[in-house]
Amino acid sequence: MPPSRWAASPPTCAKPSGDRRVIGARKTFDALERGLALLATRRPGLALSGADALGRLRNRLSRRWPSPEQVHLLFPHLDRRATARVAWSLGALEARNRLLISCIGRAGLDPVRPLVRTSQDAFAALRPPLVLGTFHVGAVQALGAVVERLPGPVLILRQGLLHTPRPPVEIVSTDGDDQSRAASFQRALAHLAGGGFVVLALDVVQGAGFQVPCLGRTLALARGPFALARLAGTPLVPLVARWRRGGVEAEAGEELAVDPTLDPADREAALAVSAGRWLERYLLDSPSELSLGLLRILLANASAPPSISSRRNS
Amino acid sequence: MSADTTIEEAVRDLLRSRAPLAQGLSDLPGDLRVGAGGLGLDSIAMVELLLDCEQRFGIKATELLEGAPLTVGRLAAHVREAVR
Repeated sequence: MPPSRWAASPPTCAKPSGDRRVIGARKTFDALERGLALLATRRPGLALSGADALGRLRNRLSRRWPSPEQVHLLFPHLDRRATARVAWSLGALEARNRLLISCIGRAGLDPVRPLVRTSQDAFAALRPPLVLGTFHVGAVQALGAVVERLPGPVLILRQGLLHTPRPPVEIVSTDGDDQSRAASFQRALAHLAGGGFVVLALDVVQGAGFQVPCLGRTLALARGPFALARLAGTPLVPLVARWRRGGVEAEAGEELAVDPTLDPADREAALAVSAGRWLERYLLDSPSELSLGLLRILLANASAPPSISSRRNS
Repeated sequence: MSADTTIEEAVRDLLRSRAPLAQGLSDLPGDLRVGAGGLGLDSIAMVELLLDCEQRFGIKATELLEGAPLTVGRLAAHVREAVR
């Protein structure tokens, strides 16, 4: 990998550098991002387009966060030019999402709602009770606005509260000890029993989890969503959001299916493997949707042997 | 053997079936926590334990997840009171 001439970095992963030009470039990019954050609450579409261009340029100049080499490790089938384009797109995605988080933190979901292009009709096939499992890909922070369009009451289980939800959406925090998380889990079960949707991340592991293969690596998935689907007797469907033409579109996958004759513990593990496969297919089809965080997690994890099915951690 | 003793034993049997750490113990003290620092049940196992209690005794038990830490004694007392 050639030495980075421009070590411009997002604030979250900045590393000190002695090169004045590098520091100057980083400060310029940071200042521009702060300016866009101010613009975002009034003109979110414009600000997000600006963030996209800025993130893309930042990645092209720095060849970092992510580097084309990192992208190549996960998508070795892409040629050199395609790999570089994916890296630029991931830089743009990160910049958009940083801005989105800042925007939601300042003004809640109000500026985000007009950006959502997914109609209620698009979700018509989703019938509650249903568990919707999300991944940290694409416009993941916009999912709060996307799920408001689901045809039924929605309970989101997540770490921390990024915004105050609008009925019929409720958010339950999964922070705290095992008993607090058990109470949240129980609330989700009751919500499903009452005929609602439960939305939660599959790739945030706070307690027990499964190691599943994805893009030639292993990925930890939380056990909770799979146990929730099993105990409630409801299907589990992947849900992702992505930036498209200045707006946010959502895609719900097919219901994750496994052999119904498996015993409960094996069924959860098989569902987790099925979720990993779904994510792998989605990212092979749309590599530009991979978040930097997920890319780092995958690269930090060991390569998955071809025979791996799942391994449960507790 | 009184009805209360029978119920408490049944609760302890359920705990032993859910918590590997409890299986080798002949006595499960009342102040022993069900979760971390005690029998070590994680959040999902705790919910499954309470659902087992609800099914076995026909009571509501998941409300025990709110408030004070769930202990063997708290669970047994709740079941004892609920089935009366």
